[in-house]
Amino acid sequence: MTRITAARPEHFGAWVRIDDGTLVAVDRALATRLSLDGGPWWTDAPPRPLPLEVHVAVTSRCPADCAGCYQSATRDGEHVSLDALTSTLDALSAMGVFTVAFGGGEPMLRDDLPALAATARARNLVPVVTTSGLGLTREKALSLRDFAQVNVSHDGVAGGYEAVRGFDGEALADRTVRTLVEAGVPVGINHVLTRQNLAHLAAMLDHARALGAVEVQLLRYKPAGRAASLDYLARRLTEAQVDGLGDTLRALAQRHEGALSIRVDCAMVPLLSNTITDPAALARFGVFGCEAGRNLGAVRRDGTLAGCSFDVRHDAVESPLRGASIAAQWEASPELQRFRDAVAAPSEPCAQCSLRSMCRGGCRIVSAHLAGDFGPDPECPRVRAFRATKTDP
Amino acid sequence: MTDATPEHGSILAVRRGPGANCSSIGSAVEMLFLSATAGVALLAAANAALRTAPDEPAAPSETPSDSASAHPSESSDASPPPSP
Repeated sequence: MTRITAARPEHFGAWVRIDDGTLVAVDRALATRLSLDGGPWWTDAPPRPLPLEVHVAVTSRCPADCAGCYQSATRDGEHVSLDALTSTLDALSAMGVFTVAFGGGEPMLRDDLPALAATARARNLVPVVTTSGLGLTREKALSLRDFAQVNVSHDGVAGGYEAVRGFDGEALADRTVRTLVEAGVPVGINHVLTRQNLAHLAAMLDHARALGAVEVQLLRYKPAGRAASLDYLARRLTEAQVDGLGDTLRALAQRHEGALSIRVDCAMVPLLSNTITDPAALARFGVFGCEAGRNLGAVRRDGTLAGCSFDVRHDAVESPLRGASIAAQWEASPELQRFRDAVAAPSEPCAQCSLRSMCRGGCRIVSAHLAGDFGPDPECPRVRAFRATKTDP
Repeated sequence: MTDATPEHGSILAVRRGPGANCSSIGSAVEMLFLSATAGVALLAAANAALRTAPDEPAAPSETPSDSASAHPSESSDASPPPSP
């Protein structure tokens, strides 16, 4: 029998999590049938929505020196203390967060990674983690079964990995996936798309499936950390690649239907804007653009809260909310409010776009890097076309 | 595509998961391109799960903090589904 493993009242009814990790939004009538009481959430003015998922940086240490590391991790980076992380998990649990995603640096370098997963589970949080595989042993893989899924960074076959990251980690990533699969851990693959590896995407997905991965998450290359440089312009997808991306993904989704789940991250959604035909239906199935500050948050290594894990711009800035609780930061952080304001009052062409409520204006990390503000995503085909009409004579 | 039975209530949205990643809550590509079949299947599975679930939810999360519930309405984000 399927079990409901967590539930959180909402103004509209409730979010409930069933035991395969799927989140289901239900109205008040169905929530009542499920014995949930909305309390003040159903009677008072709608409160600010709380995050469904929060990413937690657990270390800044990583020996890989990837050229595009969005966290600028280093060999002598530091781990966040287990006490601090336990406090963070306490806070996230109290907020009703459902999923916590550990990232780094390289989380596998922590000896207490299994304990972190157990600590999350004890608080009814579903833990997941991303790794390059550095530091993984067969024994450690067997200790990671508390994770609902482990995602392995794997940026390509046939030299694609090295072209993206600057070091040849393809064999390591392959070995990591195999080791985790053999240990009985559900494995996904994180695959960053750049102009250097897109041509090998079909081969990469075949390879992922053969390795035993259950899912491939396609990530947009974002100008954060070490990737926030002029090199970004040489690595991001070309306009022609973006324009053909929808057809490419449609074919791949058909090829792997039922055998390999393919996901795109929030930043990819605007790149598919010319392919999307029914935004309301897609929103119903959780397809959204920027979720920062709404369904998604990220706890930095210093304990400050960001809209997403790529929002590292304020890492070196003293936050007025440093030391405040996670809940207080979610409520009052000007950084998070900036994300929310950008969605609430977008400029053209997003303001009139039929995809506005679903796309939510594109990736703010990209627009901040390229345009200096949280305006429309300049790499979105619709934004490009709109701006072309403004500049054409 | 909602499970619209007023007396029994409705499913408003489904987010398949969990999906581990370093950047975001991922969107399933098959929902983008194969939504007619994949969407119906996902909704049916969620519907069946909730219909067979025990009346008393197991280990529900705590009610969100008082500080958050005291916040005034937010124009765009506090709206009810279809975009929960």
